[in-house]
Amino acid sequence: MELVVDGVGHAYDGLAVLDGIELAVRDGEVLALIGPSGCGKSTLLGILGGMLQPTRGAVRLKGDPPAGTLNPFTYVFQDFALLPWRTVEGNVSLALEHHVLDAGERGAAVDEVLSLTGLSEFRSALPKQLSGGMRQRVGIARALAARPAVLLLDEPLSALDAQTRDLLLEDFERLWALRRVTAVYVTHNLDEALRLADRIVVLSRRPGRIREIVAVDVSRPQRGVATLAGLRDRLWRLIRDEAASADREIVAHEAA
Amino acid sequence: MKPPRAEAQSDADRKVPFRGGGFAPRITRGPAVIAFAVLIALWQAAVSWRIANPLFLPSPIEIGRALYALAASGELWLHIAASLRRIAIGWLLGTAGGLALGVAIGLFGLARSVGVPLVSALFPIPKIALLPLFILWFGIGEPSKVATIALGVFFPTAVAAFGAVDNVPRSLIRMAQSFGLPFADIVRKVVLPGALPGILSGFRISASIALILVVAAEMINAQYGIGALVLFSGNLMRTDQLLAGVVVLSALGLVIAFVLGRLERRLLRWR
Amino acid sequence: MVVSRWLGAWCIGALAGVALGAGPAPAADKVSVSALTFVSSAPLFIAQDRGHFAKEGLEVEIKFFTAAQPVAVAVTSGDADFGTTGLTAGYFNLAGKGTITIVCAQSREERGWEFNAYVASNQAYAAGLTGLDKLPGRNFGISTIGSSHHYMLGKLAERRGFAMDQVKLAPLQTVPNMIAAVKSGQVDATLLPAQYANDLQAKGEAKVIGWVHEETPWQLGAVFTSPKMIAERRPVVERFVRAWVAAASEYDAEFQKRDAQGKRVFGPNADALIAIIQKYTKAEPAVIKVSLPYIDPQGRLLVRDLYDQVRWYQAQNMVDKTVDAKAIVDLSFVKGHLDVPN
Repeated sequence: MELVVDGVGHAYDGLAVLDGIELAVRDGEVLALIGPSGCGKSTLLGILGGMLQPTRGAVRLKGDPPAGTLNPFTYVFQDFALLPWRTVEGNVSLALEHHVLDAGERGAAVDEVLSLTGLSEFRSALPKQLSGGMRQRVGIARALAARPAVLLLDEPLSALDAQTRDLLLEDFERLWALRRVTAVYVTHNLDEALRLADRIVVLSRRPGRIREIVAVDVSRPQRGVATLAGLRDRLWRLIRDEAASADREIVAHEAA
Repeated sequence: MKPPRAEAQSDADRKVPFRGGGFAPRITRGPAVIAFAVLIALWQAAVSWRIANPLFLPSPIEIGRALYALAASGELWLHIAASLRRIAIGWLLGTAGGLALGVAIGLFGLARSVGVPLVSALFPIPKIALLPLFILWFGIGEPSKVATIALGVFFPTAVAAFGAVDNVPRSLIRMAQSFGLPFADIVRKVVLPGALPGILSGFRISASIALILVVAAEMINAQYGIGALVLFSGNLMRTDQLLAGVVVLSALGLVIAFVLGRLERRLLRWR
Repeated sequence: MVVSRWLGAWCIGALAGVALGAGPAPAADKVSVSALTFVSSAPLFIAQDRGHFAKEGLEVEIKFFTAAQPVAVAVTSGDADFGTTGLTAGYFNLAGKGTITIVCAQSREERGWEFNAYVASNQAYAAGLTGLDKLPGRNFGISTIGSSHHYMLGKLAERRGFAMDQVKLAPLQTVPNMIAAVKSGQVDATLLPAQYANDLQAKGEAKVIGWVHEETPWQLGAVFTSPKMIAERRPVVERFVRAWVAAASEYDAEFQKRDAQGKRVFGPNADALIAIIQKYTKAEPAVIKVSLPYIDPQGRLLVRDLYDQVRWYQAQNMVDKTVDAKAIVDLSFVKGHLDVPN
């Protein structure tokens, strides 16, 4: 299944945040969206998954979701969005309870994703007992349990400290190797994008337009600081002036 | 070379002064118990030494005796049972209606547009003032008493409920939508549990309102009831029995608050 | 000699002058009385307006209240020197604290004189409540627990041989509430003063099924004062009671004479007295004429009944068991009290 973004633009109350986005999300790829603050990356992610209706254009589907897909467009959230009154197990099973599965099938599915994300021994814990990193693992487990066609990750590691972020990035890489799923990954962190993505879409500052799409040609096992240095420079140069002027704009906007 | 040890003396008394104390008052149980005991002792002394007129202010001992007499004769339990029956039925009815309206206001635009102005307009009416109207409509029996209590409970419950629903983080609702949960599931699994803390704290308020209104409702045609006991004890000039009734009312209020606290602790363990 | 005789006459004249009070008149004693604006307080109004108080050298200020309780409390707290109202459990509880003492009689239920009536709602009457024997199993409106209505119902139960707890009490706080409740059928029966009972019956809004005077005569109202007054100003109390009795005798002469058929006959000054009562109670003369309670012309109390009342309330746990009925009545101000137990 492929997602085709056809001339999508979006404005909130007259303020344009996206303009003329033309994009295809290919089957099985990891597509990163990066850009300065306010460039509309989260808005685009919301539009991709049907949580937001664009004011212009549309997102079209080419082909069908793979067999066994339960929730085609599934999100992982920056603030984890766990139900505080449910255990880890309960939060994961939330994704499955309204689908036609009997208790046995559901239990097996929950067990599977819990072990995939290393949460099996935490199944009865409440979110308040977990660290930020563990909470996001629950978010990922929940998303995987829903058997998505496209995984939409909205700055999933922004709320975590650098060390936890590195640990989770390793988890992502491991999961991708085990279970390939089409993913759109929004981040403002260059290094995350370079580690995980097949292609990186660079958005300009508000209103967000596609500045450039950069393919990450280095194979995953070979990705390291040295091998990615050239790409990193190129990306940084692209982003830097967008980021700098976005930064100043925000300050000016608030002063007005 | 190490400096001479003669400085050791002055080193010892030059510690960094501690400046981070105070502004962290903690409750300890001792002072409260002592304060209550002292107050009661002063009260008893005032009456025993005739500083206060025993006719108009019975001593704690006399109140205790009246309470014991009521309990021993079995009358006390009849009064408590009668009041509790009215409170229970009235509170349940008012809570059911209030929750239904409050959640509807929280979820549906039409309910909110109609409900919020309506509740704001009718809330301030003292329900005690409506009692004669209810007697006209429902008669002097139990229905008018229960209706007064139910209406008094309905409004604060509705307000607490829709405030609580509004306070459920939208991000959780969007998350549930993003996983494809149907509307009823979102209400049942996200909105209602999320609104529970606000709803439970609304119960504290509605329970104390129910207690006040049961006393008012028992003014007409109630042979039994704590409110009736307080009222007719006044008519009988039995001030000791009157205050015994007031003590029972306070105790009832404390028990209800305790039960609600327990309920909160159990249901809201996740906070 | 002429001088000594003239001096002697002068001395005798002076002495006589002094004896006859030929100096400035002594000031009247000021006292206050708490009462309700009810016809049963009529002797008070008559004593005031017909000069009986003045004759006893009393300047009386009447303080009016709207309920029986405050009338008694006023004497307790010293806000009034005397009081007169109907007797209730609340009165006896106050009296038991040693702050008020009954000195003479006010109104009473006396055989042959209409005062309070048992009134049944039309619905209950149609369903079978046609006589007082049928009260068990019904609900009965009273003002409050421990009120005179409660007592009258209790005495009726004793007389007619049914248990009082077989009648469901409906405390309604005020007489207007009781009237409304029996009119609308929300209570099966209640007790109402004659003027209301007869009025409801005449308009077909309820049915009178009995009279208290035919069932259980009793001492309904009394005049009381504080033990302090009796101890410190006894002569004043005696004069007050004398004035009251004089007024009660007038009341009796004008309102309580009967003709050969036993019907009430009004005396020549009845209208004048009724006008006085109207002035204080604001009731119409026609209404006053049918609401005149029996008042003993000499202020005599039904003593045994007084003790019975205290005992009955104590048995119902409405009056403290420590109250001694004998200690709350002072029988020395009136001669010939009725039914005095030895």
